Amino acid sequence: MIAAIGRLAWIEAKLFVREPLALAFAFALPIITVLVLGGVFDVDDPAFEGAPPSDYYVAGYLGVVIAAVGLIMLPVHLAAYRERGILRRLEASHLPRWSLPIAHVGVSFGVIVLASGVLLVTAALSYGVPAVEAPVRTAAGFILGSLTFTALGFLLGTALPNARAAQGVGLLLFLPMFLLGGAGPPPEAMSDTMRTISDYNPLTHVIRALQEPWLEIGSGGTHLAIVASVGVGAVAAWLAITTQRTRRT
Amino acid sequence: MSAVVEVVGLVKSYGDVPAVDGIDLDVGAGEIFGILGANGAGKTTAVECIQGLRSADAGTIRVCGLDPTRQREQLRRLVGSQLQESALPDRIRVREAIHLFSTDRSPTGRLLETWGLSERQRTPYGRLSGGQQQRLLIAIALLNSPRVVFLDELTQGLDPAARRETWDVIRAVRDEGTTVVLVTHFADEAEALCDRLTVFRAGKVATRGTPAELINRHARSALVSLRLRAKQELRPEPIERLDGVDSLDIEGDRVEIRGNSRMIAFVCAELVAQGAVGDELRVSQGTLEDALVEMMGEDG
Repeated sequence: MIAAIGRLAWIEAKLFVREPLALAFAFALPIITVLVLGGVFDVDDPAFEGAPPSDYYVAGYLGVVIAAVGLIMLPVHLAAYRERGILRRLEASHLPRWSLPIAHVGVSFGVIVLASGVLLVTAALSYGVPAVEAPVRTAAGFILGSLTFTALGFLLGTALPNARAAQGVGLLLFLPMFLLGGAGPPPEAMSDTMRTISDYNPLTHVIRALQEPWLEIGSGGTHLAIVASVGVGAVAAWLAITTQRTRRT
Repeated sequence: MSAVVEVVGLVKSYGDVPAVDGIDLDVGAGEIFGILGANGAGKTTAVECIQGLRSADAGTIRVCGLDPTRQREQLRRLVGSQLQESALPDRIRVREAIHLFSTDRSPTGRLLETWGLSERQRTPYGRLSGGQQQRLLIAIALLNSPRVVFLDELTQGLDPAARRETWDVIRAVRDEGTTVVLVTHFADEAEALCDRLTVFRAGKVATRGTPAELINRHARSALVSLRLRAKQELRPEPIERLDGVDSLDIEGDRVEIRGNSRMIAFVCAELVAQGAVGDELRVSQGTLEDALVEMMGEDG
């Protein structure tokens, strides 16, 4: 069983590398964001809780990677698999029933780690990367944030009827989440309405759960709990839809 | 012949619409068993229930002695599937697809050669022709030497030559001991391949038997036609009195004798006896397709 899952994960990883849209959103967009936002603000701008803007945005850049994988790459991929009968082909094979979800979680997390690595190297070479003040809590934020957005990706990819719908809805969710989640203007520059929307944005909490322990501007605990709740909710909704669909077939 | 697939009272509805309504089937080991019927007759729903890909509303299903819903994982190792509406990712290469679906015991090299895909191992699925994609999906279904293979619309998208080649491979697969369940709406394919078949109509079994039995039951008509040579004469009365002959028409040198398939031997013997074999002798008998059309007419 492990060999079969490993084989599927390896092929899924290769398929991801051959997918230009996913590559652009997971690798290119965050790097462009790094290069633009890192240099836009004045180093002494007080809107960043006392941290230099380029340091403040590092967690935001990682959030863009996590959101791109969870809101664009995974939903489009899964919806296309269902729409074209690829899921049925896999279901009819000797591969264990849970092998595809497990492989997708593995590949998604691997892509997030790899794209984050590329991003941090780019950030280090351009504006520098701040030291991680609380590594364990920062890692917890990264891992939990990645898993939560992977779960959201599964939910969208399962709930939406086809790949086009998944791409449209994914982009509609990604852009406001990206802009109002901490990778766009700082909270100080937002209106009250925008800040309220930002508070309900799951990506805000993923980025804060990374940012606070990384820069030691907070514990990140509350945000981590919110991220975990969103993740549990997404997994529960995904399981409910999957179970209902299985009963209907 | 021990049963590899046993189905009793299978019922499956989508909402209020019954797709399969009380089907019984038994497929023996080592046979090519056909499920034939028009589009929407419930064939695909039935075989997907049999494979455990859909849950039946009622009925008992056993495949290789296993319950396809409760013993799904065990059954998957024994069964090969080529589904009607399925595909592979466009960017997966042929050899990656084979590698993904194979187990250690899979004879991958031989299969790729058999299905004409040896030269396409690095080609992505999305760049294969429709026929090559279909051949790859069939090869995957046969990859792990299954005890029973379900082939749903086997030759969809294949050209005539490729269809014939595919039929030969399926016969060879059966000869090696694999049981084949063939789902098709092509009567010629069912007639050419199947040892036994069941005809579905509106979710129920309309009839079953060997292709020859179904033709004898529903399409017994036969036609003997010929062109008389110059100075040849035919005495019609002895022919019209033959068993099975319904009519005889002579127009100039053209002769057409209609009746049921029983008459063919007697008519040919009488033609020889009268020395009137003539030229362009043609004997046409009913086909499975004629039988199906006749069945539909009987019900209408």
